[in-house]
This record gives sequence, C-alpha cells and structure tokens, in this order.
Amino acid sequence: MSEKKQQVSRRQFLNYTLTGVGGFMAAGMLVPMLRMAVDPVLQTSEEGDLKSVDLSVDDITNEPQLVEWKIDQVDGWYESEVTKSAWVFKDDNGDIIAHSPVCKHLGCNVTWEGSEKYPNEYFCPCHDGRYYKDGTNVPGTPPLAPLDEFDQKVENGMLYLGKAKPREEA
Amino acid sequence: MKWTKMDMEKYIDAKEFVDTLLIPLSPFKMGDDTSLEKDAFQQEVLHLFVHEIEQQLAGRLLLIPSYMYLKDADKEAEVKRIQLFLEDAQKQPIEHVFYITFDASWRKHENELQGNVLWVPSIQTGDLKSKEVQSLIGDQVEQLSEYIRSYW
Repeated sequence: MSEKKQQVSRRQFLNYTLTGVGGFMAAGMLVPMLRMAVDPVLQTSEEGDLKSVDLSVDDITNEPQLVEWKIDQVDGWYESEVTKSAWVFKDDNGDIIAHSPVCKHLGCNVTWEGSEKYPNEYFCPCHDGRYYKDGTNVPGTPPLAPLDEFDQKVENGMLYLGKAKPREEA
Repeated sequence: MKWTKMDMEKYIDAKEFVDTLLIPLSPFKMGDDTSLEKDAFQQEVLHLFVHEIEQQLAGRLLLIPSYMYLKDADKEAEVKRIQLFLEDAQKQPIEHVFYITFDASWRKHENELQGNVLWVPSIQTGDLKSKEVQSLIGDQVEQLSEYIRSYW
C-alpha cells in the first residue's frame, strides 16, 4: 500500500501540475496569435459571392439593359438587403459585359442613352458625365475613370454577378 | 450625398458640384395612440424614399437630416425656423432646395418656403418588404428624381 502511494511523489505532482497549468497558459496566448496569423484564411468572403441576377444569357443583347438584384450586405453594425444594379450587354466579340451604373465622378447613377443628345453613350444626369459603350469615360466630361465592371460567371445559362471592380485606365 | 462623415469628406472637396439640398419634413406626435402606427410607418417610407433618391442623384444632391416638427404645430413658426436653417445652409454653394413630405398641410405654405415642396401622396399602410410597395416606391422615386433633374 505504502509503495503505491509513493508512486507519484510530491515533487512529481508539483511538476505535472505546473507543466499542465503552464501549458494551458501558453496555449491561451498562442491560439489567438495563431488565429491572427491565418486570419485572412478564416474570413468568409462576403463580397466575392456571385449572385444570380435572374437573367438568361440568351436574353442579353447588344443593347445595354438594366438588371437589378438583391444582396445581403453586412455593413458594420447593420445587415441589410441592398439592391444592386448593372448595365448588361454583349460586346462585338459576344462577351458579356456588366457595367456598374455608378458614375466615377461623384456617384450618381448613369443611364444608357440617358440623353437624347448623346446616343450610344452612358449619360450621367448630375453633371453631364458621359461614357462610351465600353465604359471608357468621354474626355472633357467630369468623370476621370471608366465605369466599374462586375465580376461575372455564367452557370446553366444564367448570369451571375459579383463585385464591381475598377477597370484599368484606358 | 448623405449627412455622414464619409460623404462630408467628399463634399468638402467637391462642393461646387453639389448645388441641391433635399430636406425631409417629418411630422411627429406621441400623444395620440390611434395615429402612432401610421405616423411611424410613414416615417419609415419617407426614409426609404429619400435614400433611394439620394442614391440616384448622389453626386449633386445633399440629403440632410429630417426636419422634425410636432404634427399640429403652428406652421408659420416652423417656416420661420426652416428659414434659419436655410440661411445657414446658403453659406455653401446651394442653388436648389427641395422639401419632401407626406404632410399635405405644407402645400398651403409652399409660397412662404424658399424652394420647392415635393408633396408625395403617402402610402397609408402596408408591408415595406412586399413587392407591390417596393415597386410603387421605385416608380415614385423615378418620377421624383426626374422632377428634381428638370430643375438642373
């Protein structure tokens, strides 16, 4: 009996306890640090998601048309449903282009052929900003950059749009 | 542009392009149980309205916080107070002023107010999430933006 009791000596017991507690403390410090190091991997991509805009590829013509769709946007404290819109058309090569309607000048909404004076151009009603069909800003009008383009993919014949990306200076 | 820090940063650099002020006029009254629900709903709709309009015309229109007044207050006095707001606002390059409201009693005072009163027939009640209400608001917003643009 007395031998069995001696199997864990006082010194060993203290050693185990200290190692255990120390280990916990070290882990408590290291885990958040590790999390921080790999943080970008853990973050869910909220903006990268492509959403169906309920438009069949066959319905896309050479003429830009306005499509609207809804996304759930987490904006700091609020989570809200936001309506997004885009001008969608096929260019001369048959590629689908989705332009953001947000004017690069001060953020009004542009309209395709929004002014009778400028056919075949996007027109911004606020300060008469204009863009060619490919989204390039017309020199001499207020906007200084081309319209943003949406990330896109086609799945099962339907168009999916993602995030608007600025284009390289044309 | 909205009354937010981010937009005001932009405003300071671009104020010569922003010449239009949009002021929502919101009635408020706590005392009467029967109208609480309706008033709150209309306030919600108005909020939606002005934000939609702002989004359309963000680059040239500044949406300021709602002007709140007691529903049965004397409008003459309110007009005077609004005038004070405007006098201050006009230290900035503002040329057009639009008020937007569901309260028809402002129409009588339209001439005393500097600027244009956009009176919108209100939606009495309903569900803001329903498709019908949304498309109704969408249509009205479209027309109102058109109207504001006609002044530019």
